[in-house]
Amino acid sequence: MSKRKPNIICITGGKGGTGKTLCAVNIAIMFKNEGYKVLLIDGDVENPNTYLLLNGKLENKQEVPFFKPKIVEDKCSKCGICAQNCMSNALLHVKEAFPIPILTVCSGCRLCYKICPEKAIEADSKTIGWIYSTEINGLSLMLGELKPSEARSAAIVDTLLENLEEIIELDPERFEIIILDTAPGAHCDVELLIDIADVAIPITEPTKFGKLDLFRIMELINLLGKDCRAIVNRSSLLGFRDQFLKELKEESIKILGDIPLDSDIVNSYCQGTPIMDKNSGFNKEGAGYQAFTRIFENLKKWLKINYV
Amino acid sequence: MVVVAIPSMGKGGLNDEISPRFGRCPSFTFVELDNNEITAVKTVPNHAANAMGGAGVQATQIVGNNNAEVAIVGFLGPNAANGLNALNIKLFHAPDKRMTVKEVLDLYIEGKLEEMSTSNVASHYGMGGGRGMGGGRGSGGINNP
Repeated sequence: MSKRKPNIICITGGKGGTGKTLCAVNIAIMFKNEGYKVLLIDGDVENPNTYLLLNGKLENKQEVPFFKPKIVEDKCSKCGICAQNCMSNALLHVKEAFPIPILTVCSGCRLCYKICPEKAIEADSKTIGWIYSTEINGLSLMLGELKPSEARSAAIVDTLLENLEEIIELDPERFEIIILDTAPGAHCDVELLIDIADVAIPITEPTKFGKLDLFRIMELINLLGKDCRAIVNRSSLLGFRDQFLKELKEESIKILGDIPLDSDIVNSYCQGTPIMDKNSGFNKEGAGYQAFTRIFENLKKWLKINYV
Repeated sequence: MVVVAIPSMGKGGLNDEISPRFGRCPSFTFVELDNNEITAVKTVPNHAANAMGGAGVQATQIVGNNNAEVAIVGFLGPNAANGLNALNIKLFHAPDKRMTVKEVLDLYIEGKLEEMSTSNVASHYGMGGGRGMGGGRGSGGINNP
């Protein structure tokens, strides 16, 4: 009998600051409250901050290495074949001189290392970021961080996903629910995370920016063929709620729920205590708490439909 | 004797206009100076002008392969700067205005150009076309009267 695989839910949303991390953390907490084994992955590797919302610390630092060519001058015949074939033009070769790697443009493809006829290029590596894994109040968290000034954020996301695959392969039942929190935008980091998920939840807000970026991320989600439901955060903002929800409906975007402006949410955010945490002490009748509860019920219904 | 590399607009010769861009200039004009006297001039097209990426590195290769020891540049990106520094090519900053190769060379000979060692614009600055890449300024300096 094959073992049950975890449900992977990707929280995303195009625009920055719409509440992706807020929703990811609280949805993860709500699953945990019900006794599910939950892993939360922060894939916003340029600004990883999920642990702050959970009042946790970064632990178990693991370096993410990235290939860099190293020219072994004793072996190099200065033929220039490496530079001629480098698609990124990351090797500077002037006649009768050793090639010089320009690491800022190197894509890490290793072609030079493979084709050097003298085997004069060694596979060296540099650290471009880190992966952390920690456990906060029974919730497992894995987080990627890109080293400032490095460009290859997708390589960090790739490493996160490799780690995830390994976890699932070793024990498919270790986690039942996996929540992925993406960066803003509709770029390759985000694409990698949506692609590995079963369903996507874009978070938006009732502004022109929110709508535009929601449409952009919907395009990506549809392209990847994922089922999705949107959450409208700050839905009571300026009284646009009903009009905004109607506009999304007209675009055939399904809604998982909406979250009004709520002082408890703001307080929880500032304190680093998720509003849905059992011990948070926030008002269970409050608008924010109620909104998350409704969203969670809708989410469970939806997932059941998808995972019978 | 010293060979000076000057990014130029592609017509060739001393009366060609200088290009404010380095990695994506249409051509390089190489001028050989002997005791500040011009002894040879040649123009080499810049095949990196339309490269997807790494134009600065490829352009640096052209400069290095033509034995230049000095380059007079307008806007210089970080990758080109790294490459030129690695080749120990001395860098001088060309005035931010429309002028000919001969005019900028005269300023160099008179010692009126400022020496520089690092890049003065971000990557892809002079790529043109794309908004936000500074194409407006990179090429605009030449097109605007």
